[in-house]
Amino acid sequence: MKDKLKISPSPPLIRGENNEANGNSRELWLPSGAEAAAEVLSRRRFMQLMGGSLALAGLAGCRRPVEKIVPYLATPEEVILGLPNYYATTMPLGMDVYGLVVESHEGRPTKIEGNPLHPSTPRGSNSFMQASVLGLYDPDRSRDILHNGKQEDWAAFVQFWQGLEVKYQANGGEGLAVLSESFSTPTLSRLRETFLRRFPKAQWIAYDPISDENIFEGIRIATGQALRPVYHFDKAKVVLALEADFLGLESNNVRHASDFALGRTVRSSQDEMNRLYVVESCASITGGLADHRLVVLSSQIKQFTSDVVQELQHNWVGVFEPALTESSGSRSSNDFRDSLIKDLLANRTQSLVIAGRRQPPEVHAFVTAMNQALGNVGFGVTYHPIDHALPSNWAALAELAVKMKSQEITMLVMLGGNPVYSAPVDLDFGSALAKVENSVHVSLHQDETSKASKWHLNQAHFLESWGDTQYRDGTLSVIQPMIEPLHRGKSVVEVANLLATGQDQSGYDLVRETWKEFLLPLNYENQWRKVLHDGLLNFSVSEQISLQVNGSAIADFLKVHPFSATAERGESLEAVFLPSAAVWDGRFANNAWQQELPDPLTKITWDNAAAISPNLARDLKVETGDVVVLTLGGRSIETPVWVDPAQADGSVALTLGYGRASAGQVGNGVGGNVYRLRRNTAPDVDQGLTLTRTGKTWKLALSQTQRTQADRPVVRHVSLEKFREDPHCIKEMEETPNLQSLWKEHSYAQGYQWGMAIDLTLCTGCSACMTACRAENNVAVVGKEQVHKGRIMHWLRVDNYFVEENGQIWMAQQPVPCMHCEMAPCEQVCPVAATVHDSEGLNLMTYNRCVGTRYCSNNCPYKVRRFNYYNFTKHYPSLLKMVQNPDVTVRSRGVMEKCSYCLQRINRARFIAKQENRAIRDGEVIPACSQACPTGAIVFGDLNDPSSKVVELKKQAQEYKMLAQYNTRPRTSYLAKLRNP
Amino acid sequence: MNHTDQHDTLVLGAPSLHQVSEDISHITERKTPRWWYIAITLSGSMMLVLIGMIGWLFYKGIGIWGNNTPVGWAFDITNFVFWVGIGHAGTLISAVLYLLRQRWRTSINRFAEAMTLFAVICAGIWPTIHTGRPWYDYWLLPYPNQMGMWPQFRSPLNWDVFAVGTYFTVSLLFWYTGLIPDLATLRDRAKGRIRQIVLGIFALGWRGSQKQWKHWELAYLILAGIATPLVLSVHSVVSTDFATSIIPGWHSTIFPPYFVAGAIFSGFAMVLTLIIPARKIFGMEKYITLNHFDKMAKVILLTGMMVSFAYLIEIFIAWYSGNPYERFTFLNRAAGPYTWGFWIMITCNVVVPQTLWFRKLRRSIPYLFVISLLVNVGMWFERFNIIVTSLHRDFLPSSWGMFRPTIFDLGMLAGSFGLFLTLFLIFLRFLPMISISEVKKLAFEEQEHERNAHPRATPEIGRSS
Repeated sequence: MKDKLKISPSPPLIRGENNEANGNSRELWLPSGAEAAAEVLSRRRFMQLMGGSLALAGLAGCRRPVEKIVPYLATPEEVILGLPNYYATTMPLGMDVYGLVVESHEGRPTKIEGNPLHPSTPRGSNSFMQASVLGLYDPDRSRDILHNGKQEDWAAFVQFWQGLEVKYQANGGEGLAVLSESFSTPTLSRLRETFLRRFPKAQWIAYDPISDENIFEGIRIATGQALRPVYHFDKAKVVLALEADFLGLESNNVRHASDFALGRTVRSSQDEMNRLYVVESCASITGGLADHRLVVLSSQIKQFTSDVVQELQHNWVGVFEPALTESSGSRSSNDFRDSLIKDLLANRTQSLVIAGRRQPPEVHAFVTAMNQALGNVGFGVTYHPIDHALPSNWAALAELAVKMKSQEITMLVMLGGNPVYSAPVDLDFGSALAKVENSVHVSLHQDETSKASKWHLNQAHFLESWGDTQYRDGTLSVIQPMIEPLHRGKSVVEVANLLATGQDQSGYDLVRETWKEFLLPLNYENQWRKVLHDGLLNFSVSEQISLQVNGSAIADFLKVHPFSATAERGESLEAVFLPSAAVWDGRFANNAWQQELPDPLTKITWDNAAAISPNLARDLKVETGDVVVLTLGGRSIETPVWVDPAQADGSVALTLGYGRASAGQVGNGVGGNVYRLRRNTAPDVDQGLTLTRTGKTWKLALSQTQRTQADRPVVRHVSLEKFREDPHCIKEMEETPNLQSLWKEHSYAQGYQWGMAIDLTLCTGCSACMTACRAENNVAVVGKEQVHKGRIMHWLRVDNYFVEENGQIWMAQQPVPCMHCEMAPCEQVCPVAATVHDSEGLNLMTYNRCVGTRYCSNNCPYKVRRFNYYNFTKHYPSLLKMVQNPDVTVRSRGVMEKCSYCLQRINRARFIAKQENRAIRDGEVIPACSQACPTGAIVFGDLNDPSSKVVELKKQAQEYKMLAQYNTRPRTSYLAKLRNP
Repeated sequence: MNHTDQHDTLVLGAPSLHQVSEDISHITERKTPRWWYIAITLSGSMMLVLIGMIGWLFYKGIGIWGNNTPVGWAFDITNFVFWVGIGHAGTLISAVLYLLRQRWRTSINRFAEAMTLFAVICAGIWPTIHTGRPWYDYWLLPYPNQMGMWPQFRSPLNWDVFAVGTYFTVSLLFWYTGLIPDLATLRDRAKGRIRQIVLGIFALGWRGSQKQWKHWELAYLILAGIATPLVLSVHSVVSTDFATSIIPGWHSTIFPPYFVAGAIFSGFAMVLTLIIPARKIFGMEKYITLNHFDKMAKVILLTGMMVSFAYLIEIFIAWYSGNPYERFTFLNRAAGPYTWGFWIMITCNVVVPQTLWFRKLRRSIPYLFVISLLVNVGMWFERFNIIVTSLHRDFLPSSWGMFRPTIFDLGMLAGSFGLFLTLFLIFLRFLPMISISEVKKLAFEEQEHERNAHPRATPEIGRSS
């Protein structure tokens, strides 16, 4: 992988000027007619030119301005025009870290992949990583430093701070506070220490609306240590997830999905599958994949956990010493729990219990104790110290808000984050902030908090700034810029350094200063270059901490925080606050790719809705799209509902991150702001929610409206047991007569013949592939209205069907790219031969030739073709044009488009292979979707190569082709979904 | 055939041949009546809506319609098939009935042919403008070009280009050929110089000589012969747009005959819709008699039953085939979100025409007028059902969607009626709406017959036209 990508150590930076990056680093030069005429003129040539200019004279109004093009005068080393360069870096998301490889075209980052060398991303990526490159070019990013709304410059801010720091130095920093996002970065950590040394009475806390605080707290209760867990799902045969969407919205999800898939890959009848138990209140992609899913209220999960602990104690006396809970005597029988206990006990050291971040600390304490008792520590889970990191701290934020209101805080510096929008509503952070004499906010956008602050500093995107990160297992990485800051923004590190030292230093120097600690002084430069090249410092994994679970400490904690015996459920409901799979906590609200990414569960785009169960919907007499009033703690908001069959009856799932007021042109006013109900007392799961029907309806733009398979063998599925008994059962689910072609078929005896196989057992539905495809292929964003009309442009969609089996609901997720049918129905009906087959079996679109009859789309049984109903790409701001992949045509109005199997990547591989005078190797061509997939569910390759991975997959007994009976002969085939209940 | 029965007489009141010329030509020669101005203002405004909306469509793109990804075709192709269908009755009446020596066609054939032409014009608009980039529509034509590209001849859309193009050309020629003697009649009666010259040019020097009549008769016969297979071919070809595809509800071998029957059904209904008011306004009761209506109603009844039979067979085959996708499509038509469209179609096309078994109703002008409108509504919905309800829920449930017409869909459908009526009003005003020469021949024959049956009666036969 690394070799193929030829990762370069660091990019030659191109200076951004004004709003246009790199425009001036190369000029365009076109020979004008006059210069051509200066050649020696023959008579004929003269006449030609004259004829030409006479003709042009008549068309003077149509002439384009003469632009001058000049190639790089001094080409940066490594840059070959037309060939991208790849650089490694990392992306921070709170305390989470993701390794990246960034594709850069002539100094312009356009595409992001996971860095396979980095432990966070052994394979693939997630949608946030994919979409972050669009965030770099967001035209609404802040371009200025503002003081009370007036434009200022960096020097003015430096001067401002230098004026104040004397005062704070004198009083020890009293009244000075820094509020950052949670972080796991050595440099910021170092600067924080410096800052606190210099201003001992000042405080620096972190706040993230979505954080793993409860997890750390639970582990601390159980062990007395500040530790981060690292899960190794590949080592677990049985997984119990307690409302933990570890494949989707929990931290470190790429690694989890990648590891989890290793234990679920079935390539022969002997292969084992892991078994996943999920207990949760609302749908999640992890729950959708579960072999056993138990639906309980979120607030009942601690009771469930306690029951499991009791059962373990009962079955295995002495497992917890001292006993964690008192035996309640009467034990009710429960199929789910019984088989879970049996599996856990049968798979000691090979199981894993994980609880989600919404669960209270005591659940995490139990989970830690269980993992310890089951012998999983060191196998399924390892614990590493929290160094160089600052976790989010809700309680500290609440205290800070109180101090702000009482004007004890005279200066508050907010490094990133958007607390005015995202802080708990009862803290009333906005009015608290107004009382602070000097408030400074560093952020990418002039957001809600910036507008409420005295100073706003425009932040540099992580793709344009220096920094560093530490992964949860201790691995150190550097964040290196791909481009000079487009808007001359400052990184958080640079601002923090100014606060801590009073000096204005570049991020590069600061990071290198920190890394003196990690790199050998004698070999510093070499090691530094290697870190930049690889994207991480090898062998920097921190030691695993062996646990001493202190049962009595847990018991003591429980005495203070007793379990309420039954669920606290009366007439009212529980509110469960979730991050959004599209906009996270709201930070991606102005990212159009993310806004238009259909939610993996609900398939809602450009919106959030309150998920309620069908029973609750029946009681309230509402259906999907009806507007209800949510009331919690005296505050109300209106929101549409989404009726979700996977939802617990007494629970309502609310998605955070929407309803932004100052996100930018894309994100303003999209969806409803659920933060307005989120209280500091119960930020994750709150009680006492009431729903009232309003009678109004709201237009929800769904990318998929039909959520059952209508008894069709679309996503074929079978249990592992049954599959072993009868491996042919998959193919027999649809009758396939022996059909012939009307026409002479191409033989494909020579050369390549491309094909794809998608393993539905592995697909989690995370939708990283959709964003990757959009980024790679310049797929247009169309907006809510057009999505609602059914004109979403994704070349690859992930279909999600609910399946109800034995009273349990699970989700059949199915990525659907173009099938590249050998007997393509689309090709036969195109009147102008705009869609044709090539000699390598690809079904191609010739945009230039397309007239736009849409007949091909009508005749496509898989409906994978997308039509440009309007000129969606015409009005892109110039900044957004920079994110386009130069190897892929940007489509105009009136033409059809569809998945090309990333033809440009095939051709690049062909080009390289030809230069090296060899054939394209298996695995050399990886389409964007396949590259983004964290579970390796999508495999692409040459069907003519008998040793290729795709051929191996297509030989599997569970392989099937959708609608095979229609003789379309798809080149994309599926491996049926196997489940292991 | 027994023409002696008073009820079967096709020209009433035994007008003199001169009277025939006078009655029909007079309409084009007299001062334009006020109602005509009012009517053309109305229809012209509707036509302008169409033109304006086409302009906006070209400017903005197909997105102004409600079409989307499962439903790539909606009102556009529905309207196309609808109007092509309307066009069918014309050729059937002119050519097929001519060859079959059905003399009752004489009074209505000119009318029907004009309707055909205008309907085909209205039809031709839709495939032309429904493309994403209409300025490249000419790529569907086979012409030598620098790209070295030909159209893709496997595509039924290309067959459409030829089928509809041929049909329009032949219909135009046939209509024009039939018009020549009448144009000469008008020319000879013309008072103004300009009128004489224009009509003179279009009458192609017709003098009514024996030889010219001979050639004309032969040419007319040959054109009728050429046009006859077109009656079957055009709509058969149009139906292959659907029949050759893979979509359940489209992929069906019954489509060609079913479409032809449906086309004749709707075409005759449209003839009735137009001729009933025209006959009243222009006082053509003499030439367009209840016998004509009776016969047209019978054709509607017959083709209506053919269409009903086709519906039945389609549903039967969907069940009998055992194909779950096919079965679902038909269930979805009858009980899905577009169920209203299906039941409008069944009511208008299956139930309502059954009343035409009653002779009394076949001869009731107001009833026929209502029925003709209902049949056209029903036939429009038939195409809507075929196109939209088949597309909106096809194979993969994930891609199911809904089509909702926009103001542009509705406005342009209305506008196409405006265009049609405008063209028709112009025709009524400036050209003989009934074939003078053929009616004369018919009148002469009928009167001759009468004279032979009752020798004492003295028929008044005009000497010159």
